[in-house]
Amino acid sequence: MSAILLIAVPLLAAFLSIMMKKLSSYVLLAVGIFNVVLLLILPDGFVRIGEFNQPLGINLLLDTYSRIALLLLNSLILVITYLNLKSYKTYGTILLLALAGLNGLVLTNDLFNFFVFLEISGIAAYLITTSNKKPRSTFHYLMLGAVGSSLFLFGVIILYAMYGTLNMVGMIRLIQANGNYKEVILPFTLMFIGLGVEAKLLPFNSWVKGVLGNSNTLSGPMIASVYAGSMSFVLGRLITNLFDFQGSLLTVVTIILAVGILAGDLMAFASTKTREILLFSSVAQASIIALLFVNGIIIWAVYLIIANALSKTVMFLVINKATKDIGSDESQDLRGLFIKNILVGVTFTLATLSVMGLPLLVGFKIKLAFLTGLADANHIWLIAIILIASVIEGIYFVRLLVKLWYKGDKEINVSYNFSFKTVFVIIALALLVFGTYSTPLSYLDNSIDTVMEEVNNG
Amino acid sequence: MIQYAAIILFVFGLYGLFTNKNVIKMIISLNVMEVGLNIFIISIGFNSDPNSIAPIISSTNQLSSVFVDPLPQALVLTAIVIGVGTTALGLAIAKNIYKTYNTFELDEMEESA
Amino acid sequence: MKNIFGFLISVTLGVFIILALANTDAFPEFGSANTDNRVSSQYLIEDNVNDIGSGNIVTAIVVGYRGFDTLGEVTVLFISALGVAFMLSSPKQERLDLKFRPNFMLRVGSKILFGIILVTSFYIILHGHLTPGGGFPGGAIIASSVLLLYLADDKFRSNIKSFKILEGVAGSLFVIIGLLGLVLATYFLQNFLPAGNIGELLSAGIIPIIYILIGLKVGSEIAGIVDNFLTEEESA
Repeated sequence: MSAILLIAVPLLAAFLSIMMKKLSSYVLLAVGIFNVVLLLILPDGFVRIGEFNQPLGINLLLDTYSRIALLLLNSLILVITYLNLKSYKTYGTILLLALAGLNGLVLTNDLFNFFVFLEISGIAAYLITTSNKKPRSTFHYLMLGAVGSSLFLFGVIILYAMYGTLNMVGMIRLIQANGNYKEVILPFTLMFIGLGVEAKLLPFNSWVKGVLGNSNTLSGPMIASVYAGSMSFVLGRLITNLFDFQGSLLTVVTIILAVGILAGDLMAFASTKTREILLFSSVAQASIIALLFVNGIIIWAVYLIIANALSKTVMFLVINKATKDIGSDESQDLRGLFIKNILVGVTFTLATLSVMGLPLLVGFKIKLAFLTGLADANHIWLIAIILIASVIEGIYFVRLLVKLWYKGDKEINVSYNFSFKTVFVIIALALLVFGTYSTPLSYLDNSIDTVMEEVNNG
Repeated sequence: MIQYAAIILFVFGLYGLFTNKNVIKMIISLNVMEVGLNIFIISIGFNSDPNSIAPIISSTNQLSSVFVDPLPQALVLTAIVIGVGTTALGLAIAKNIYKTYNTFELDEMEESA
Repeated sequence: MKNIFGFLISVTLGVFIILALANTDAFPEFGSANTDNRVSSQYLIEDNVNDIGSGNIVTAIVVGYRGFDTLGEVTVLFISALGVAFMLSSPKQERLDLKFRPNFMLRVGSKILFGIILVTSFYIILHGHLTPGGGFPGGAIIASSVLLLYLADDKFRSNIKSFKILEGVAGSLFVIIGLLGLVLATYFLQNFLPAGNIGELLSAGIIPIIYILIGLKVGSEIAGIVDNFLTEEESA
């Protein structure tokens, strides 16, 4: 049993499933369950591919950080597939390939392999967004994604020319030994821009509005929680270990991220379409997560990624199902949605309150912890920006919730079937339970990312 | 130097992608950008020693000769194929765009609901 | 306005890259790549070369040392072909009406050329571990022979079902060979066949087998993409 099975089995299933198209979604469910079970029994450590030693071949790294990311991804894909089994049957093969690509992205320890899996996941994402039936937004996403990956590859090649290896642990060792920081500013900038396109950081995220603004119950949660979560995890791993932001580059990156937080929340405030409000809030949260990684607050950034992925799944599923039944997503047209769906309304409200960071929910504990961490490092103006952004966030979310709970002019009839409601209840309970009883959260700390340990010990 | 030419090609492709409004021309600019990137990758491995040869061992080349770097060539193989995949997908989306909006110019497409 | 903005950004990026590369000591000048402080020095020592058994060192890297990247690349092509078929296909299809009728010489001559091109592609695929080439160019040549038949005859449609089955089977065999390495030896994609002598056709373990599978897969995928672009819904 080795970690390579997490990638090889979905690939094999995908290659076989084009010959039996009708069963592809069920194969996906079986593979998802297999992956989750496998993750619980695998040991930590490096996995070699082929029998070659570290600089010669490729290897994968499974440690606590990757394990948390993989558990989150695999279970979310399993849940989303199960909920969309009837309506989006033909997407089984594409989702299997997305599963394999995202697993490989989180596990790999080699920079060129990272690029290849980034492309696999990217192309799977473009195909998932074709379910929105908006070819213009998909085309825009494809162009931006291709430019981003090319810039990333450019950076990786410059690093290879300078240091002669493509292995992440080996390269970090060589960069630290070399010590001349100014030489690596160019490749790090290019790689950061390349990943920033996929991770929705500010100047490069013009694709988000088109893709998520027209989403449905399959593409909405997939792009907004699964892809966003995994891209944040890998961006965090690269930022903490490889990119060592110092000096003027650190200032530039911090300003870009801070502007991203404010701009995201302001654009959400200015919009009246529900899906746009949710997606701009995702953009702002992605910038906050990147900011926390840059400042070294790893464990709370990881918890924030998990909390966001879970909350946004609930929120996007509720709104997308309602939009499909009613036909429009203007918040005017969705007034009174929760009058007949009280359970769904309660879970949606709990998820929203967790994103805003109100007490009794896990969002509050996370926000408190990372603001304390930032205060310890004396970043007062960053705390001020996050607090201002939270106030704006509070205003637009409360405005949305008021519209959804109180009756409008017309009667709205949207029904959620039993499996949807079960998922909502489980996630909302998790957010509530960890909000009140949060001692398990402090069992893990910043040492879950063991790449630097390997660099120093190897 | 060929590396300058490769970077200039990359920049041309990027400029074309920003300023063109025709879907097919955007795909072609993306291809120009990728060609520039691939040439840059190959040029990393070049050794201008007059004795250096391609890394193939046969009855005429022995192992002790000076070889050029084989790794960038392997990376470029993968990068070219990935570029082909992305272009094919882009052209299929372009065909869908034409079916939906009846034009290839991004300016002329009105926002249909 | 947008043109000027785009021009400024591209030129700034280009100038930034050129200046940064020129001022970096660690980035070698063009033509002075020294393989001694790179990973490639280990690929070129005699023990490793005899271990893998392939005369073409680039092939040894692509399929041997970094075979996992090749698996990823094959997957990228697979998912692109799948995507094109997903977006452009419909149940009943016929050839796109291009309003020209090729003449007799073109139709017959292309069939003769088809055979010659196919033989060339098989030669290139089989000798991937001895000469430059291998599965990817060979597969592309197979697809170009199919494209020739499409262009020369406006009523020709290849057998799409069999291409899809070939594609799926070849891909699964690649992953199964990798899994066999995991089961029979200890690591995924480990070479479990004997390496032989460098320079012979039957050498280099699993490398020729994988290249044949890759060549068939790439050929059938690109032929499938060509068919998807040149057909449309039946009009009546």
